[in-house]
Amino acid sequence: MKRVVSLAVLVTIVLGMSLLLALSGQSFYPSENLRWLAIVYLNTTYNPYLPDFTVWSPEAVTAIVWDYRGLDTLYETTVFYLAIISGLALGRGVKRLNQKPTDESGLSPIVKTVTKITGPMILAVAASIGLHGHLTPGGGFQGGATAAVVPVVFIVVFSSFYLLWKGVSSQRMLTLRSAGLIGIGLTSIALFLAGLLLGLPSYVFQNIAKAGSPLSMPYDVHGALLSGTLWWFNLFEFLAVSSGFTLAFIILMTPEAEEKW
Amino acid sequence: MSLDLLIYAVGAFASLMSVVAVYLALVERDLVKAVIYSAIQSVFYSLLFYLFMSPDIVLVYLPVAGGVLPALLLVLISKTERFERE
Repeated sequence: MKRVVSLAVLVTIVLGMSLLLALSGQSFYPSENLRWLAIVYLNTTYNPYLPDFTVWSPEAVTAIVWDYRGLDTLYETTVFYLAIISGLALGRGVKRLNQKPTDESGLSPIVKTVTKITGPMILAVAASIGLHGHLTPGGGFQGGATAAVVPVVFIVVFSSFYLLWKGVSSQRMLTLRSAGLIGIGLTSIALFLAGLLLGLPSYVFQNIAKAGSPLSMPYDVHGALLSGTLWWFNLFEFLAVSSGFTLAFIILMTPEAEEKW
Repeated sequence: MSLDLLIYAVGAFASLMSVVAVYLALVERDLVKAVIYSAIQSVFYSLLFYLFMSPDIVLVYLPVAGGVLPALLLVLISKTERFERE
C-alpha cells in the first residue's frame, strides 16, 4: 500500500511538471534574444578591443564566478570552510587508531594494482580541470572535488591507515587547506596592496585595469593566457577544496580507539 | 533539427530514468542499495546537465554527487544501521 502511494505521488509530480512545461511553452518560452546582462558578459569576457572591461578569459563562467561576481564565490568558499571546520569540531578530542597497514588489509591485489594506476590519472585530470579553468569548462572547485575522489578510493581499496602511513595526515591536510585559503585571500587583495605601495588607486578583487585604476594582474605569460587573478584563484581553490574533502574523509573513515569509560 | 530531436529524446529518457532511480531509492529498505540508486540518479542528472549545455555544472556534479556524497553516506551507514526499520 505504501509503495502504491509513493509511486502515485511520484507519477503525479512527474505528470504535473510535464503538463506545466507543456502549457507554459505556449504562454512563456525563453526567447532566443539574450538579455542585455548576458550580452555584456559575453562581449567583454575575452575582448582585446575593450581593455578596460575585459577579463582576458574565453571561459565566461569562470570569469563570472571569479571576476564579475568574485565576492559571491569568496563567501561560498567561506561556507565550505565553516562546514569542514564544524565537521572537524564533531570529531575533536577523539583518539584515532594508527596501525601499520598490511598486505592482507583492503581489497584484492587486482583492485589495488588498478587503483595504483588510475589514482595518478584521476589526479592529472583533476589538475587539468582546475588549472585550465580559465580556458575550458571547469575551475578550482570542480578540479578539487575530482581530486578528492582519489583519497576516498585509496581508503576504500587499501585501508584507512594507508594514507596516514604514506604521509597524508589530517594535520598536513589542514595546513594545505589553510595555505589555499590564505592564497585566496592574498590574491583578492594583491592589487589593492600593490596600489597602496605604488600610490595608485586600486580596488579589492581587482583583476584587470579599469578606468581610473591602471593596475592589472599579468594576464598572459609568453602568449599563454593566465587571465589575471582567475588562474591563481583556481589554483588556491583547488588546493583548499581537495585538501578540505580529504581532511573530512580522513576524520570520518579512521576508526576510533576504544575508550575506557 | 534531427540533432535537436535526439538531444531532447535522450534528455527525456534520462529524466524519466532518474525518476525511476529516485523511486527505487525511496522504497529500498537496504540503505546501501538506496545510496547506489541515488548515485545512478545523479549520473542521469549530469547527463541532463551536459545535454543542456552546462559543462561546468557537470564537472562539479559528477565528482560530488557520484563520488563524494555516496562515499560520505556509506560511511554514515556503516556507523549506524544498514537496514531501515518500520
